[in-house]
Amino acid sequence: MTAIPLPLPRRVTRSVKKYAIPYLFIAVPVISLIVFLLIPMVASLWWSLNDYSGLQPPKFVGLNNYIQLFTNDKIFGKGLVNTTVFVLLGMSIGPTLGLLTALMLNQKVRFRSFYRTAYYLPVMTSLVVVSTIWLMLYNRNGLINTVLQTFGVAKVGWLSSPHVALISIVIASVWQGFGFETVVFLAALQSIPRELYEAAMIDGAGGGAQFRYITLPSLRPVIVFVYIIGIIGSYQVFDQIYVMSSGGPVYSTTTIVYYLFTKFMDLRLGYASAIAYVLFAILVVFSYIQMRISRERA
Amino acid sequence: MSVQPKTFRNSSKRIILYVVLVGSSILMMIPFYWSVVTSLKLEKFVFTSPPQWIPNPLVWVNYIHVLTKMPFARYFANSVFVALAVTLAHVFFDTLAAYAFAKLKFPGRDQIFFVMLLALMVPFQVNLIPLYKIMAAFHWTNTYLALIIPNLTSIFGIFLMRQFLMTIPNELLDAARIDGCSEFGVFRKVVLPLALPGIATLIIFTFMGTWNDFLWPRIVINSEKLFTLPVGLALLQMKNTSNEAQIMAGTVLTALPMIIVFLFMQRQFIEGMTAGALKG
Repeated sequence: MTAIPLPLPRRVTRSVKKYAIPYLFIAVPVISLIVFLLIPMVASLWWSLNDYSGLQPPKFVGLNNYIQLFTNDKIFGKGLVNTTVFVLLGMSIGPTLGLLTALMLNQKVRFRSFYRTAYYLPVMTSLVVVSTIWLMLYNRNGLINTVLQTFGVAKVGWLSSPHVALISIVIASVWQGFGFETVVFLAALQSIPRELYEAAMIDGAGGGAQFRYITLPSLRPVIVFVYIIGIIGSYQVFDQIYVMSSGGPVYSTTTIVYYLFTKFMDLRLGYASAIAYVLFAILVVFSYIQMRISRERA
Repeated sequence: MSVQPKTFRNSSKRIILYVVLVGSSILMMIPFYWSVVTSLKLEKFVFTSPPQWIPNPLVWVNYIHVLTKMPFARYFANSVFVALAVTLAHVFFDTLAAYAFAKLKFPGRDQIFFVMLLALMVPFQVNLIPLYKIMAAFHWTNTYLALIIPNLTSIFGIFLMRQFLMTIPNELLDAARIDGCSEFGVFRKVVLPLALPGIATLIIFTFMGTWNDFLWPRIVINSEKLFTLPVGLALLQMKNTSNEAQIMAGTVLTALPMIIVFLFMQRQFIEGMTAGALKG
Protein backbone atom coordinates (compact mmCIF):
# COMPACT_ATOMS: atom_id res chain seq x y z
CA MET A 1 0.00 0.00 0.00
CA THR A 2 1.21 3.47 -0.82
CA ALA A 3 1.23 6.02 1.93
CA ILE A 4 -1.72 8.37 1.64
CA PRO A 5 -0.98 11.79 3.08
CA LEU A 6 -4.08 11.95 5.22
CA PRO A 7 -4.29 14.91 7.55
CA LEU A 8 -3.61 12.59 10.47
CA PRO A 9 -2.08 14.34 13.43
CA ARG A 10 1.65 13.61 13.24
CA ARG A 11 1.58 12.52 16.84
CA VAL A 12 -0.69 9.59 16.01
CA THR A 13 1.30 8.33 13.04
CA ARG A 14 4.49 8.66 15.00
CA SER A 15 3.05 6.80 17.98
CA VAL A 16 1.75 4.02 15.76
CA LYS A 17 5.25 3.61 14.36
CA LYS A 18 6.82 3.85 17.78
CA TYR A 19 4.41 1.37 19.30
CA ALA A 20 4.13 -0.93 16.29
CA ILE A 21 5.78 -3.78 18.17
CA PRO A 22 3.45 -3.96 21.20
CA TYR A 23 0.46 -3.58 18.88
CA LEU A 24 1.79 -6.42 16.77
CA PHE A 25 2.22 -8.55 19.90
CA ILE A 26 -1.44 -8.14 20.86
CA ALA A 27 -2.76 -8.22 17.29
CA VAL A 28 -4.02 -11.82 17.18
CA PRO A 29 -5.86 -11.68 20.53
CA VAL A 30 -7.39 -8.30 19.70
CA ILE A 31 -8.56 -9.42 16.25
CA SER A 32 -9.92 -12.63 17.82
CA LEU A 33 -11.69 -10.57 20.45
CA ILE A 34 -13.36 -8.41 17.81
CA VAL A 35 -14.20 -11.07 15.22
CA PHE A 36 -15.05 -14.02 17.46
CA LEU A 37 -16.44 -12.27 20.51
CA LEU A 38 -17.56 -8.65 20.16
CA ILE A 39 -19.15 -8.94 16.71
CA PRO A 40 -20.96 -12.21 17.60
CA MET A 41 -22.15 -10.61 20.83
CA VAL A 42 -23.74 -7.71 18.97
CA ALA A 43 -25.11 -9.99 16.23
CA SER A 44 -26.65 -12.24 18.82
CA LEU A 45 -28.28 -9.29 20.61
CA TRP A 46 -29.70 -8.07 17.29
CA TRP A 47 -30.99 -11.52 16.31
CA SER A 48 -32.67 -11.87 19.69
CA LEU A 49 -34.91 -9.01 18.52
CA ASN A 50 -35.67 -10.79 15.25
CA ASP A 51 -37.45 -13.74 13.82
CA TYR A 52 -34.51 -15.52 12.24
CA SER A 53 -34.15 -18.99 10.83
CA GLY A 54 -30.70 -18.54 9.34
CA LEU A 55 -32.12 -19.29 5.91
CA GLN A 56 -34.24 -16.19 5.33
CA PRO A 57 -33.12 -12.68 6.29
CA PRO A 58 -33.98 -11.70 9.88
CA LYS A 59 -37.33 -10.04 10.48
CA PHE A 60 -37.45 -7.47 13.28
CA VAL A 61 -39.99 -8.32 15.97
CA GLY A 62 -38.86 -6.11 18.85
CA LEU A 63 -38.98 -7.75 22.26
CA ASN A 64 -41.36 -10.42 21.03
CA ASN A 65 -38.94 -13.32 21.62
CA TYR A 66 -38.37 -12.25 25.22
CA ILE A 67 -42.09 -11.74 25.84
CA GLN A 68 -42.75 -15.15 24.33
CA LEU A 69 -40.10 -16.74 26.58
CA PHE A 70 -41.48 -15.34 29.80
CA THR A 71 -45.22 -15.41 29.18
CA ASN A 72 -45.95 -18.12 26.70
CA ASP A 73 -43.24 -20.77 26.91
CA LYS A 74 -43.86 -23.28 29.68
CA ILE A 75 -40.82 -25.37 28.70
CA PHE A 76 -38.51 -22.39 29.07
CA GLY A 77 -40.04 -21.67 32.47
CA LYS A 78 -39.39 -25.27 33.42
CA GLY A 79 -35.86 -24.93 32.09
CA LEU A 80 -35.23 -21.90 34.31
CA VAL A 81 -36.59 -23.75 37.35
CA ASN A 82 -34.68 -26.97 36.56
CA THR A 83 -31.43 -25.09 36.06
CA THR A 84 -31.88 -23.16 39.30
CA VAL A 85 -32.66 -26.37 41.18
CA PHE A 86 -29.57 -27.96 39.62
CA VAL A 87 -27.44 -24.99 40.73
CA LEU A 88 -28.90 -24.85 44.27
CA LEU A 89 -28.59 -28.59 44.89
CA GLY A 90 -25.11 -28.81 43.40
CA MET A 91 -23.89 -25.75 45.29
CA SER A 92 -25.27 -26.97 48.60
CA ILE A 93 -23.43 -30.29 48.29
CA GLY A 94 -20.28 -29.70 46.20
CA PRO A 95 -18.44 -26.96 48.14
CA THR A 96 -19.39 -28.57 51.48
CA LEU A 97 -17.89 -31.89 50.38
CA GLY A 98 -14.90 -29.97 49.07
CA LEU A 99 -14.36 -28.23 52.42
CA LEU A 100 -14.83 -31.43 54.45
CA THR A 101 -12.36 -33.38 52.33
CA ALA A 102 -9.90 -30.47 52.38
CA LEU A 103 -10.09 -30.31 56.21
CA MET A 104 -9.38 -34.05 56.36
CA LEU A 105 -6.46 -33.76 53.95
CA ASN A 106 -5.07 -30.84 55.94
CA GLN A 107 -4.35 -33.21 58.87
CA LYS A 108 -1.10 -35.12 59.05
CA VAL A 109 -2.16 -38.17 57.05
CA ARG A 110 -0.28 -40.77 55.10
CA PHE A 111 -0.81 -41.13 51.35
CA ARG A 112 -2.35 -37.66 51.12
CA SER A 113 -1.65 -37.36 47.38
CA PHE A 114 -3.46 -40.66 46.80
CA TYR A 115 -6.73 -39.36 48.28
CA ARG A 116 -6.30 -36.04 46.55
CA THR A 117 -5.86 -37.81 43.20
CA ALA A 118 -8.99 -39.86 43.85
CA TYR A 119 -11.05 -36.73 44.49
CA TYR A 120 -9.47 -34.79 41.69
CA LEU A 121 -9.35 -37.31 38.85
CA PRO A 122 -12.97 -36.76 37.73
CA VAL A 123 -12.37 -32.99 37.51
CA MET A 124 -10.13 -33.30 34.50
CA THR A 125 -12.21 -36.01 32.88
CA SER A 126 -14.47 -34.88 30.06
CA LEU A 127 -18.11 -34.40 31.03
CA VAL A 128 -19.13 -36.64 28.15
CA VAL A 129 -17.02 -39.44 29.63
CA VAL A 130 -18.43 -38.84 33.10
CA SER A 131 -21.94 -38.86 31.70
CA THR A 132 -21.54 -42.10 29.73
CA ILE A 133 -20.15 -43.82 32.81
CA TRP A 134 -23.01 -42.63 35.05
CA LEU A 135 -25.55 -43.48 32.37
CA MET A 136 -24.39 -47.07 32.67
CA LEU A 137 -24.31 -46.97 36.48
CA TYR A 138 -27.88 -45.58 36.48
CA ASN A 139 -29.16 -48.26 34.10
CA ARG A 140 -32.23 -50.12 35.39
CA ASN A 141 -30.09 -53.23 35.72
CA GLY A 142 -26.93 -51.27 36.35
CA LEU A 143 -24.45 -51.43 39.20
CA ILE A 144 -26.25 -49.04 41.56
CA ASN A 145 -29.59 -50.86 41.38
CA THR A 146 -27.90 -54.27 41.62
CA VAL A 147 -26.02 -53.26 44.76
CA LEU A 148 -29.13 -51.66 46.28
CA GLN A 149 -31.06 -54.83 45.51
CA THR A 150 -28.77 -56.88 47.74
CA PHE A 151 -29.86 -54.56 50.56
CA GLY A 152 -33.48 -55.18 49.64
CA VAL A 153 -34.10 -51.80 48.02
CA ALA A 154 -36.44 -51.83 45.02
CA LYS A 155 -35.09 -50.76 41.61
CA VAL A 156 -34.97 -47.01 41.13
CA GLY A 157 -35.58 -45.38 37.74
CA TRP A 158 -32.62 -43.06 38.18
CA LEU A 159 -33.00 -41.38 34.83
CA SER A 160 -36.44 -42.61 33.78
CA SER A 161 -38.45 -41.13 36.63
CA PRO A 162 -39.24 -37.43 36.21
CA HIS A 163 -38.95 -36.90 39.96
CA VAL A 164 -35.51 -38.44 40.27
CA ALA A 165 -33.72 -37.70 36.98
CA LEU A 166 -32.52 -34.19 37.84
CA ILE A 167 -31.23 -35.33 41.23
CA SER A 168 -29.36 -38.18 39.55
CA ILE A 169 -27.68 -35.70 37.23
CA VAL A 170 -26.78 -33.50 40.21
CA ILE A 171 -25.13 -36.49 41.94
CA ALA A 172 -23.04 -37.32 38.86
CA SER A 173 -22.09 -33.65 38.47
CA VAL A 174 -21.07 -33.28 42.12
CA TRP A 175 -18.96 -36.44 41.83
CA GLN A 176 -17.28 -34.88 38.81
CA GLY A 177 -16.69 -31.44 40.25
CA PHE A 178 -16.11 -31.29 44.00
CA GLY A 179 -12.45 -32.31 43.73
CA PHE A 180 -11.78 -28.86 42.32
CA GLU A 181 -13.12 -27.35 45.53
CA THR A 182 -11.12 -29.83 47.63
CA VAL A 183 -7.89 -28.74 45.98
CA VAL A 184 -8.66 -25.03 46.17
CA PHE A 185 -9.72 -25.22 49.84
CA LEU A 186 -6.72 -27.35 50.73
CA ALA A 187 -4.33 -24.79 49.23
CA ALA A 188 -6.14 -22.03 51.10
CA LEU A 189 -6.00 -23.95 54.40
CA GLN A 190 -2.29 -24.52 53.98
CA SER A 191 -1.70 -20.80 53.49
CA ILE A 192 -3.26 -19.87 56.86
CA PRO A 193 -0.35 -18.89 59.15
CA ARG A 194 0.33 -21.51 61.81
CA GLU A 195 0.97 -18.80 64.43
CA LEU A 196 -2.72 -17.89 64.42
CA TYR A 197 -3.62 -21.37 65.68
CA GLU A 198 -0.76 -21.41 68.17
CA ALA A 199 -1.88 -18.10 69.63
CA ALA A 200 -5.46 -19.35 69.85
CA MET A 201 -4.36 -22.51 71.64
CA ILE A 202 -2.44 -20.47 74.19
CA ASP A 203 -5.64 -18.48 74.72
CA GLY A 204 -7.38 -21.77 75.37
CA ALA A 205 -9.51 -21.94 72.21
CA GLY A 206 -10.70 -25.48 71.36
CA GLY A 207 -11.01 -27.02 67.93
CA GLY A 208 -14.49 -25.66 67.31
CA ALA A 209 -13.58 -22.12 68.30
CA GLN A 210 -10.42 -22.25 66.18
CA PHE A 211 -12.45 -23.32 63.18
CA ARG A 212 -15.03 -20.61 63.72
CA TYR A 213 -12.73 -17.70 64.51
CA ILE A 214 -9.64 -18.52 62.44
CA THR A 215 -10.31 -21.06 59.69
CA LEU A 216 -13.65 -19.81 58.39
CA PRO A 217 -12.76 -16.07 58.30
CA SER A 218 -9.45 -16.85 56.56
CA LEU A 219 -11.27 -18.94 53.97
CA ARG A 220 -13.93 -16.33 53.27
CA PRO A 221 -12.50 -14.97 49.99
CA VAL A 222 -11.88 -18.48 48.68
CA ILE A 223 -15.38 -19.57 49.66
CA VAL A 224 -16.82 -16.63 47.73
CA PHE A 225 -14.66 -17.51 44.72
CA VAL A 226 -15.69 -21.16 44.81
CA TYR A 227 -19.40 -20.39 45.01
CA ILE A 228 -19.42 -17.73 42.30
CA ILE A 229 -17.35 -19.82 39.88
CA GLY A 230 -19.52 -22.82 40.71
CA ILE A 231 -22.79 -20.98 40.18
CA ILE A 232 -21.66 -19.46 36.88
CA GLY A 233 -20.44 -22.84 35.63
CA SER A 234 -23.50 -24.76 36.81
CA TYR A 235 -25.93 -22.37 35.15
CA GLN A 236 -24.34 -23.40 31.84
CA VAL A 237 -24.88 -27.15 32.37
CA PHE A 238 -25.27 -28.92 29.04
CA ASP A 239 -23.04 -31.95 28.35
CA GLN A 240 -24.51 -34.10 31.15
CA ILE A 241 -28.05 -33.37 30.01
CA TYR A 242 -27.24 -34.05 26.37
CA VAL A 243 -25.72 -37.45 27.09
CA MET A 244 -27.72 -38.70 30.07
CA SER A 245 -31.28 -37.54 29.55
CA SER A 246 -31.74 -35.36 26.43
CA GLY A 247 -33.75 -33.06 28.68
CA GLY A 248 -36.31 -35.73 29.56
CA PRO A 249 -38.34 -37.46 30.85
CA VAL A 250 -41.13 -34.94 30.20
CA TYR A 251 -38.72 -31.97 30.29
CA SER A 252 -37.78 -32.73 33.88
CA THR A 253 -34.08 -32.19 33.08
CA THR A 254 -34.36 -29.56 30.35
CA THR A 255 -31.95 -26.77 31.29
CA ILE A 256 -31.44 -23.30 29.81
CA VAL A 257 -28.51 -24.24 27.58
CA TYR A 258 -30.04 -27.57 26.56
CA TYR A 259 -33.21 -25.73 25.54
CA LEU A 260 -31.13 -23.18 23.64
CA PHE A 261 -29.46 -26.08 21.83
CA THR A 262 -32.80 -27.59 20.78
CA LYS A 263 -33.96 -24.20 19.46
CA PHE A 264 -30.71 -23.89 17.52
CA MET A 265 -31.34 -27.31 16.01
CA ASP A 266 -34.92 -26.24 15.12
CA LEU A 267 -33.39 -23.24 13.29
CA ARG A 268 -35.13 -20.77 15.57
CA LEU A 269 -31.96 -18.73 15.83
CA GLY A 270 -33.57 -15.47 16.99
CA TYR A 271 -35.38 -17.26 19.78
CA ALA A 272 -32.23 -19.17 20.76
CA SER A 273 -30.31 -15.88 20.88
CA ALA A 274 -32.90 -14.45 23.25
CA ILE A 275 -32.40 -17.48 25.52
CA ALA A 276 -28.64 -16.86 25.40
CA TYR A 277 -29.15 -13.28 26.52
CA VAL A 278 -31.41 -14.31 29.40
CA LEU A 279 -28.62 -16.65 30.53
CA PHE A 280 -26.10 -13.83 30.09
CA ALA A 281 -28.23 -11.54 32.27
CA ILE A 282 -28.36 -14.15 35.05
CA LEU A 283 -24.58 -14.67 34.94
CA VAL A 284 -23.85 -10.93 34.87
CA VAL A 285 -25.61 -10.62 38.23
CA PHE A 286 -23.26 -13.17 39.80
CA SER A 287 -20.16 -11.73 38.09
CA TYR A 288 -21.17 -8.32 39.43
CA ILE A 289 -21.52 -9.70 42.96
CA GLN A 290 -18.06 -11.22 42.68
CA MET A 291 -16.55 -7.97 41.42
CA ARG A 292 -18.16 -6.05 44.26
CA ILE A 293 -16.88 -8.47 46.86
CA SER A 294 -13.34 -8.70 45.49
CA ARG A 295 -13.17 -4.90 45.25
CA GLU A 296 -14.25 -4.68 48.89
CA ARG A 297 -11.27 -6.84 49.74
CA ALA A 298 -8.75 -4.83 47.72
CA MET B 1 -3.25 -41.82 84.05
CA SER B 2 -5.22 -38.96 82.54
CA VAL B 3 -3.12 -39.28 79.36
CA GLN B 4 -4.52 -42.70 78.58
CA PRO B 5 -8.08 -41.74 77.58
CA LYS B 6 -6.86 -38.78 75.53
CA THR B 7 -4.51 -40.81 73.33
CA PHE B 8 -7.20 -43.43 73.06
CA ARG B 9 -9.63 -40.79 71.85
CA ASN B 10 -7.02 -39.41 69.48
CA SER B 11 -6.21 -42.77 68.00
CA SER B 12 -9.86 -43.66 67.53
CA LYS B 13 -10.32 -40.27 65.84
CA ARG B 14 -7.44 -41.10 63.51
CA ILE B 15 -8.96 -44.47 62.70
CA ILE B 16 -12.23 -42.79 61.74
CA LEU B 17 -10.29 -40.25 59.66
CA TYR B 18 -8.51 -43.00 57.73
CA VAL B 19 -11.69 -45.03 57.27
CA VAL B 20 -13.46 -42.00 55.81
CA LEU B 21 -10.51 -41.02 53.60
CA VAL B 22 -9.90 -44.50 52.24
CA GLY B 23 -13.61 -45.29 51.94
CA SER B 24 -14.46 -42.10 50.09
CA SER B 25 -11.45 -42.49 47.79
CA ILE B 26 -12.56 -45.99 46.86
CA LEU B 27 -16.10 -44.75 46.32
CA MET B 28 -14.75 -42.04 44.03
CA MET B 29 -12.77 -44.54 41.99
CA ILE B 30 -15.58 -47.10 41.56
CA PRO B 31 -17.14 -45.43 38.49
CA PHE B 32 -13.74 -45.41 36.75
CA TYR B 33 -13.01 -48.96 37.82
CA TRP B 34 -16.42 -50.10 36.66
CA SER B 35 -16.02 -48.54 33.24
CA VAL B 36 -12.62 -50.20 32.73
CA VAL B 37 -13.94 -53.55 33.94
CA THR B 38 -17.02 -53.31 31.73
CA SER B 39 -14.91 -52.51 28.68
CA LEU B 40 -13.05 -55.81 29.22
CA LYS B 41 -16.19 -57.97 29.47
CA LEU B 42 -18.35 -59.76 26.99
CA GLU B 43 -21.58 -57.82 26.55
CA LYS B 44 -23.67 -60.61 28.10
CA PHE B 45 -21.83 -60.22 31.42
CA VAL B 46 -22.30 -56.43 31.68
CA PHE B 47 -25.56 -56.36 33.61
CA THR B 48 -25.36 -59.42 35.81
CA SER B 49 -26.65 -59.85 39.33
CA PRO B 50 -24.58 -60.14 41.45
CA PRO B 51 -22.21 -57.78 39.59
CA GLN B 52 -19.11 -59.31 38.07
CA TRP B 53 -16.31 -57.26 39.71
CA ILE B 54 -13.54 -58.98 37.77
CA PRO B 55 -14.12 -59.69 34.09
CA ASN B 56 -14.36 -63.40 33.38
CA PRO B 57 -13.39 -64.02 30.64
CA LEU B 58 -11.26 -60.92 30.15
CA VAL B 59 -11.55 -59.90 26.51
CA TRP B 60 -10.18 -57.13 24.27
CA VAL B 61 -12.88 -57.57 21.65
CA ASN B 62 -14.62 -54.27 22.54
CA TYR B 63 -11.47 -52.24 21.98
CA ILE B 64 -10.80 -54.06 18.75
CA HIS B 65 -14.35 -53.33 17.68
CA VAL B 66 -14.34 -49.57 18.35
CA LEU B 67 -10.87 -49.18 16.85
CA THR B 68 -11.44 -51.21 13.70
CA LYS B 69 -15.19 -51.27 12.99
CA MET B 70 -15.69 -47.70 14.20
CA PRO B 71 -13.55 -44.65 13.48
CA PHE B 72 -12.30 -44.27 17.06
CA ALA B 73 -8.67 -44.21 15.95
CA ARG B 74 -9.63 -41.34 13.66
CA TYR B 75 -11.45 -39.48 16.48
CA PHE B 76 -8.38 -40.00 18.60
CA ALA B 77 -6.09 -38.55 15.92
CA ASN B 78 -8.46 -35.59 15.44
CA SER B 79 -8.50 -34.87 19.17
CA VAL B 80 -4.72 -35.06 19.41
CA PHE B 81 -4.20 -32.85 16.38
CA VAL B 82 -6.71 -30.18 17.40
CA ALA B 83 -5.63 -30.10 21.03
CA LEU B 84 -1.94 -29.83 20.10
CA ALA B 85 -2.53 -27.12 17.49
CA VAL B 86 -4.69 -25.06 19.83
CA THR B 87 -2.30 -25.48 22.76
CA LEU B 88 0.70 -24.46 20.67
CA ALA B 89 -1.12 -21.37 19.42
CA HIS B 90 -2.09 -20.41 22.98
CA VAL B 91 1.45 -20.74 24.28
CA PHE B 92 2.69 -18.39 21.58
CA PHE B 93 -0.11 -15.83 21.26
CA ASP B 94 -1.24 -15.67 24.89
CA THR B 95 2.30 -15.31 26.22
CA LEU B 96 3.26 -12.76 23.59
CA ALA B 97 0.20 -10.61 24.32
CA ALA B 98 0.66 -11.09 28.06
CA TYR B 99 4.22 -9.82 27.70
CA ALA B 100 2.97 -6.69 25.93
CA PHE B 101 0.31 -6.09 28.57
CA ALA B 102 2.66 -6.76 31.48
CA LYS B 103 5.93 -5.17 30.41
CA LEU B 104 5.53 -2.82 27.43
CA LYS B 105 4.01 0.64 27.42
CA PHE B 106 1.69 1.74 24.64
CA PRO B 107 -1.35 3.98 24.34
CA GLY B 108 -4.62 2.22 25.08
CA ARG B 109 -2.97 -0.69 26.87
CA ASP B 110 -5.00 -0.54 30.06
CA GLN B 111 -8.24 0.21 28.20
CA ILE B 112 -7.82 -2.77 25.88
CA PHE B 113 -6.98 -5.01 28.81
CA PHE B 114 -10.05 -3.78 30.67
CA VAL B 115 -12.29 -4.60 27.69
CA MET B 116 -10.75 -8.09 27.65
CA LEU B 117 -11.52 -8.60 31.32
CA LEU B 118 -15.12 -7.51 30.73
CA ALA B 119 -15.37 -9.88 27.76
CA LEU B 120 -14.29 -12.72 30.06
CA MET B 121 -17.77 -12.54 31.60
CA VAL B 122 -19.59 -13.28 28.34
CA PRO B 123 -20.75 -16.89 28.35
CA PHE B 124 -19.82 -18.84 25.23
CA GLN B 125 -23.48 -19.62 24.49
CA VAL B 126 -24.10 -15.95 23.63
CA ASN B 127 -21.57 -16.13 20.79
CA LEU B 128 -22.35 -19.65 19.73
CA ILE B 129 -24.85 -18.99 16.95
CA PRO B 130 -23.16 -15.98 15.31
CA LEU B 131 -19.85 -17.82 15.57
CA TYR B 132 -21.41 -20.72 13.71
CA LYS B 133 -22.64 -18.31 11.04
CA ILE B 134 -19.17 -16.75 10.72
CA MET B 135 -17.67 -20.20 10.24
CA ALA B 136 -20.29 -20.93 7.60
CA ALA B 137 -19.55 -17.63 5.82
CA PHE B 138 -15.84 -18.53 5.67
CA HIS B 139 -16.80 -22.07 4.51
CA TRP B 140 -15.01 -23.40 7.59
CA THR B 141 -17.79 -25.50 9.08
CA ASN B 142 -16.85 -29.14 8.96
CA THR B 143 -13.13 -28.39 8.78
CA TYR B 144 -10.34 -28.38 11.34
CA LEU B 145 -10.20 -24.61 10.87
CA ALA B 146 -13.50 -24.19 12.72
CA LEU B 147 -12.06 -26.05 15.69
CA ILE B 148 -8.73 -24.21 15.69
CA ILE B 149 -8.99 -20.64 14.37
CA PRO B 150 -11.56 -19.27 16.87
CA ASN B 151 -9.44 -20.84 19.63
CA LEU B 152 -6.00 -19.43 18.80
CA THR B 153 -5.92 -17.42 22.01
CA SER B 154 -7.95 -16.97 25.14
CA ILE B 155 -8.46 -14.03 27.43
CA PHE B 156 -8.09 -16.29 30.43
CA GLY B 157 -4.71 -17.49 29.14
CA ILE B 158 -3.49 -13.92 28.58
CA PHE B 159 -4.66 -12.97 32.07
CA LEU B 160 -2.94 -15.98 33.63
CA MET B 161 0.35 -15.33 31.82
CA ARG B 162 0.23 -11.60 32.53
CA GLN B 163 0.00 -12.30 36.27
CA PHE B 164 3.00 -14.54 35.90
CA LEU B 165 5.11 -12.21 33.73
CA MET B 166 4.55 -9.25 36.05
CA THR B 167 6.94 -10.94 38.49
CA ILE B 168 9.88 -10.88 36.04
CA PRO B 169 12.20 -8.01 37.04
CA ASN B 170 12.42 -5.19 34.50
CA GLU B 171 16.20 -5.02 34.93
CA LEU B 172 16.56 -8.37 33.20
CA LEU B 173 14.61 -7.14 30.19
CA ASP B 174 16.53 -3.86 30.08
CA ALA B 175 19.83 -5.71 30.24
CA ALA B 176 18.81 -7.78 27.21
CA ARG B 177 17.73 -4.62 25.36
CA ILE B 178 21.06 -2.93 26.08
CA ASP B 179 22.75 -6.02 24.67
CA GLY B 180 20.99 -5.20 21.41
CA CYS B 181 18.05 -7.60 21.58
CA SER B 182 14.96 -6.63 19.61
CA GLU B 183 11.66 -6.68 21.53
CA PHE B 184 10.89 -10.09 20.01
CA GLY B 185 14.40 -11.22 20.88
CA VAL B 186 13.79 -10.22 24.50
CA PHE B 187 10.57 -12.21 24.41
CA ARG B 188 12.18 -15.29 22.91
CA LYS B 189 15.44 -15.33 24.84
CA VAL B 190 14.50 -13.89 28.22
CA VAL B 191 10.73 -13.95 28.76
CA LEU B 192 9.85 -17.38 27.36
CA PRO B 193 12.47 -19.32 29.37
CA LEU B 194 11.52 -17.51 32.58
CA ALA B 195 7.81 -18.06 31.90
CA LEU B 196 8.13 -21.84 31.57
CA PRO B 197 6.39 -22.73 34.87
CA GLY B 198 3.48 -20.45 33.93
CA ILE B 199 3.45 -21.93 30.44
CA ALA B 200 3.16 -25.41 31.95
CA THR B 201 -0.05 -24.31 33.65
CA LEU B 202 -1.29 -22.69 30.45
CA ILE B 203 -0.58 -25.88 28.48
CA ILE B 204 -2.50 -27.99 30.97
CA PHE B 205 -5.53 -25.71 31.02
CA THR B 206 -5.66 -25.33 27.27
CA PHE B 207 -5.03 -28.97 26.43
CA MET B 208 -7.62 -30.14 28.95
CA GLY B 209 -10.22 -27.59 27.82
CA THR B 210 -9.76 -28.44 24.15
CA TRP B 211 -9.61 -32.19 24.69
CA ASN B 212 -12.84 -32.18 26.72
CA ASP B 213 -14.73 -29.54 24.71
CA PHE B 214 -18.09 -30.75 23.49
CA LEU B 215 -20.70 -28.12 22.61
CA TRP B 216 -18.68 -26.27 19.94
CA PRO B 217 -17.34 -29.33 18.06
CA ARG B 218 -20.77 -30.93 18.35
CA ILE B 219 -22.31 -27.96 16.55
CA VAL B 220 -19.68 -27.01 14.01
CA ILE B 221 -18.66 -30.48 12.81
CA ASN B 222 -21.08 -32.96 11.29
CA SER B 223 -18.86 -35.24 9.29
CA GLU B 224 -17.81 -38.26 11.28
CA LYS B 225 -14.30 -38.13 9.87
CA LEU B 226 -13.66 -34.89 11.76
CA PHE B 227 -15.27 -35.76 15.10
CA THR B 228 -13.22 -35.32 18.22
CA LEU B 229 -13.36 -38.03 20.90
CA PRO B 230 -16.16 -36.58 23.07
CA VAL B 231 -18.39 -36.02 20.03
CA GLY B 232 -17.61 -39.50 18.70
CA LEU B 233 -18.29 -41.00 22.11
CA ALA B 234 -21.65 -39.22 22.40
CA LEU B 235 -22.57 -40.54 18.96
CA LEU B 236 -21.50 -44.07 19.88
CA GLN B 237 -23.66 -43.74 22.98
CA MET B 238 -26.72 -42.76 20.94
CA LYS B 239 -26.40 -45.44 18.25
CA ASN B 240 -28.67 -48.33 19.06
CA THR B 241 -26.31 -50.71 17.36
CA SER B 242 -23.53 -50.34 19.91
CA ASN B 243 -23.53 -52.14 23.22
CA GLU B 244 -22.52 -51.06 26.70
CA ALA B 245 -19.18 -52.89 26.70
CA GLN B 246 -18.19 -51.17 23.44
CA ILE B 247 -19.33 -47.80 24.75
CA MET B 248 -17.10 -48.29 27.77
CA ALA B 249 -14.15 -49.16 25.54
CA GLY B 250 -14.75 -45.84 23.78
CA THR B 251 -15.10 -44.10 27.14
CA VAL B 252 -11.79 -45.45 28.41
CA LEU B 253 -10.05 -44.43 25.19
CA THR B 254 -11.46 -40.91 25.55
CA ALA B 255 -10.53 -40.52 29.22
CA LEU B 256 -7.16 -42.26 29.31
CA PRO B 257 -4.92 -39.63 27.64
CA MET B 258 -6.03 -36.90 30.07
CA ILE B 259 -5.57 -39.21 33.02
CA ILE B 260 -2.04 -40.08 31.91
CA VAL B 261 -1.17 -36.42 31.38
CA PHE B 262 -2.59 -35.67 34.82
CA LEU B 263 -0.66 -38.38 36.63
CA PHE B 264 2.59 -37.13 35.09
CA MET B 265 1.96 -33.43 35.68
CA GLN B 266 -0.05 -33.61 38.89
CA ARG B 267 1.91 -30.91 40.69
CA GLN B 268 1.52 -28.38 37.86
CA PHE B 269 -2.17 -29.23 37.52
CA ILE B 270 -2.91 -28.54 41.16
CA GLU B 271 -0.70 -25.46 41.42
CA GLY B 272 -2.30 -24.06 38.29
CA MET B 273 -5.82 -24.73 39.50
CA THR B 274 -5.21 -23.12 42.86
CA ALA B 275 -3.10 -20.16 41.66
CA GLY B 276 -6.11 -18.51 40.06
CA ALA B 277 -8.32 -19.06 43.09
CA LEU B 278 -5.93 -17.76 45.71
CA LYS B 279 -4.79 -14.69 43.78
CA GLY B 280 -8.13 -13.86 42.20
